[in-house]
Amino acid sequence: MDEPTLIRDAQRGDLDSFNTLVLAYQDALFNTALRILGDEEQAADATQEAFLSAFRAINSYRGGSFKAWLLRTVTNACYDELRRQKRRPTTPLEPDTEDGDAMETPRWLADPSISPEQQAEAEELEHAIQHCLENLPLEFRAVVVLADLQGLDYNAVAKAVRAPLGTVKSRLARARLRLRECLQGFGELLPSAFRLQEGSRA
Amino acid sequence: MTTPSFRDIEQLSAYLDGELGPMEAARLASRIATDPQLASVFEALRQSQAVLRHLPPRRAPRNFTLTPQMVRQKPPLPRAYPFFRFSTALAAVLLVFTFAINAISPLSLGARAPAPSYGLGGAATEEPVMAFEAPAATEAPAEPEIAPEPKLVVPAATQAAPPSADAAKVTPEAQAKPGIEEQARAPSEAESIEQGPIPLSWQIALGLLALVNLSIVFLMQKYASSKWRE
Repeated sequence: MDEPTLIRDAQRGDLDSFNTLVLAYQDALFNTALRILGDEEQAADATQEAFLSAFRAINSYRGGSFKAWLLRTVTNACYDELRRQKRRPTTPLEPDTEDGDAMETPRWLADPSISPEQQAEAEELEHAIQHCLENLPLEFRAVVVLADLQGLDYNAVAKAVRAPLGTVKSRLARARLRLRECLQGFGELLPSAFRLQEGSRA
Repeated sequence: MTTPSFRDIEQLSAYLDGELGPMEAARLASRIATDPQLASVFEALRQSQAVLRHLPPRRAPRNFTLTPQMVRQKPPLPRAYPFFRFSTALAAVLLVFTFAINAISPLSLGARAPAPSYGLGGAATEEPVMAFEAPAATEAPAEPEIAPEPKLVVPAATQAAPPSADAAKVTPEAQAKPGIEEQARAPSEAESIEQGPIPLSWQIALGLLALVNLSIVFLMQKYASSKWRE
């Protein structure tokens, strides 16, 4: 069944059709939430909340990119999650075991037969990028995640973060430069393919 | 060559995303080709974007499909919620009822309109006065109040006198009394015509009660939803 038909059926209350859409987009939403929130459990909660809100508000979808519409929902869910955290600060889960290793191996969408070396590289890159993303203010982080990780255009990003186009343009430029500076600090730690050229400073 | 301004940096970032118009993009491209500092900034932006795009996406840790129970579930509401919801409805219904009563009542007051005028100049209410005054007129013909009209107190005018005496005696007093009675009646008539049987203060009280209860109901729902999500 094609996407417009699934959406139309979901708008008539067909939960199975909506769940088909959930399976198609849950990776994108989870990754967005994960990069904005920086925590897997919180990202999972925000993703679930986003899909629930989306189903309840499915009749407000009026066409255009359904992915962008869903990403707008998950961005709102992330903001709500962060506001809840501010009201009720929670003790973050310890990411490491006593040996200092990661508690579980991240599951990548890439080829499941990924080699250990490739997996290690992916983990290093993720660690560096996540660290630098978390150094950004929330509004900058959301914009760069939606634009550069999810490939949304400026109009879609502006709708998702509820900011004017000019603000999105400004935040994205600043976020990219700050990320660049931060990633340069990782230097040799970055996988060789992604090591930034020295001396290329803004 | 000057250090790129932030405006330049924004333009470079938008150029990277293909968000500039064709003429603007062409102008910027030629500047990048001739200005090493601009070129350096452009490269920094491009690298940042490239690194992010190469980050492998994670697989969702579980399926986020919805169940019917998840969709139907509503947050639990406080125990007092049904009471306030009922109070809101009751106050609103009563308020509408009072408006209806007051709207209908002038129609029924209009049917009774002759009664006040009956009291003003009619004989019925004055008959007791006349009956009361008549003996005084005949018994005390020398009383000063009847002096201006001596012919009225002539005892010889037995059957005729009482009516005329009555009329003369009663007339100034009747003229005075209707004035007082008119004054007494007029406000209540005005009241009943303008306000209806249900006082305005009651309507205001019912309206306020409905508003207060509605606010409480709304706040309870909001509170329950926020607690549910936490």
